[in-house]
Amino acid sequence: MIEAQGLTRRYGAVTAVRGLDLHIDGPGIVGLLGPNGAGKTTILRMLAGTLSPSSGVAKVAGHDLLQAPIEARASVGWLPETPPLHHELTVGEFLRYVAELRGLPRAERLSRVGDVLVLLELTDREGQRIGALSKGLRQRVGLAQALVHDPPVLLLDEPTSGLDPHQIEGVRRLITRLAEAHTVLLSTHVLQEVAALCDRVLVLHKGELTGDGTRQELAQQAGLSDGVELWLSAGPEQATRVLSALDVVSRVEHTGMSEGWQAYRLHGTPDLAPSVVSAAVGQGWSVGRVAAAPVTLEAVFHALTAAA
Amino acid sequence: MSRHIPTRLGTALSVARKELRVVLLSPSGWVFLTAALFLSGVFMVRSMTTIGEASLRPVLADLSVALLFLLPWLTMRQLAAEARDGSLELLLAAPVSPGAVVVGKWLSSLAVCALLLLGLCGHVAVLALYGSPDWGVVLTSMGALAAVCALGSAAGLFASSLTRDPVVAGVLGTLFVLPLWLADGLSVAVGEGWSSVLASLALLPHLRGPARGVLDSADVVWFAVWTAGFLLLSWRSLESRRWR
Repeated sequence: MIEAQGLTRRYGAVTAVRGLDLHIDGPGIVGLLGPNGAGKTTILRMLAGTLSPSSGVAKVAGHDLLQAPIEARASVGWLPETPPLHHELTVGEFLRYVAELRGLPRAERLSRVGDVLVLLELTDREGQRIGALSKGLRQRVGLAQALVHDPPVLLLDEPTSGLDPHQIEGVRRLITRLAEAHTVLLSTHVLQEVAALCDRVLVLHKGELTGDGTRQELAQQAGLSDGVELWLSAGPEQATRVLSALDVVSRVEHTGMSEGWQAYRLHGTPDLAPSVVSAAVGQGWSVGRVAAAPVTLEAVFHALTAAA
Repeated sequence: MSRHIPTRLGTALSVARKELRVVLLSPSGWVFLTAALFLSGVFMVRSMTTIGEASLRPVLADLSVALLFLLPWLTMRQLAAEARDGSLELLLAAPVSPGAVVVGKWLSSLAVCALLLLGLCGHVAVLALYGSPDWGVVLTSMGALAAVCALGSAAGLFASSLTRDPVVAGVLGTLFVLPLWLADGLSVAVGEGWSSVLASLALLPHLRGPARGVLDSADVVWFAVWTAGFLLLSWRSLESRRWR
């Protein structure tokens, strides 16, 4: 549904996106994750057809964005971080205008506008001026304009930015529903959003793709594995020295104090727990807790975006 | 699955309808109409009391120049405000031609100008009530004013396509039309070589024929070339937004 090969975008001397290769197929939610300035918005704008790439090729729904830009843009619903709204118009007027711009025949136009008003729970707001709506409602109108032509591909840039927790929950539920029939590519720097929504995550750093896959696949790409959480009586200096010396342990992190115990997170071979506990007991330390510690998305994100 | 693609005409009309609605819902359109009608009234009263002629002829040049400088303030927000507010993304992401968008925006200004010309018909009615106007002059003068509106709207639209700040767009638009007004006076002041170049730029010589009731194809071509030139530049400028 979305393909890119060597997609590059430069702004003067600055390269915002460098040689992006991408293949996304079928319905589902793919997250575009990266720190601010990583190139997320630039990628989405290029795929939406509002920004031309400096080099490379991109296709949306089989249409080349350079060779067949009109057809490619017709297949995309695009919600920028600032929803593209006309505040002077009512919700209904605005959506009918967007449907006209999208070329929907008159009869279909009215029924589609009605459908998206129902889908976005905006029916009772149809006659209200957009400028008078709350930020959350404007975000929903923004989503409605992206959906009015029922595109196979949805590009969403920070769709929950600036919303309150209730609104965030509502938008996430909606995106999950939409993903049953649409290919959704959404950018965010909120890790919880990715964890809550995305089947697959693309991690960007300084315009380059540094990770691509599920959380487990990303952990592997980052060289991280599930670890063990261990509470000991021993202090960080002594414990780190002794535990790091074990063959089964590759990394020891002191994560602070927990209920009076020194807490550690250990990474290494999958069967490291018995060896570590034996070593601790052998040192005469008390062991307060031993538990599996799955690799977190935060750790993966930091590992994949830490390179200079 | 085949996707819907709007026609160029359909796009232009959709954009024009939306723009017209926005202009009429905001003060800018009404301020423009009020200012233009007030000035035209002042010019008419001055002409009738000093010249005593029941005609649009004495006011045509003054009103044309006034319109030329007022129009960039009507059109200043057309693309600049859309770029500033982010709604330009809607147009750039839609499966539409930038040319059709430009024509749509320009048509909306012409629609506002049509309301102005309708208002000017009130002045003509007063002329007809108290005198015997030359209807040929009335028609060619109205035609010239429509042509000035077309040119000023296109120049203002081009200025609006260059910036994200509507006020800067208004100033730029004024600067674009300024040479067209100044060129007539300057062509007299400069030497032989430059005189013909400046005279070809000048607006005022192209109003003299319509003011006498004469429709000259050279005047029509002059207005058409300038208007089309500014529309073409607006189109290229809008298209270049994808590269900026």
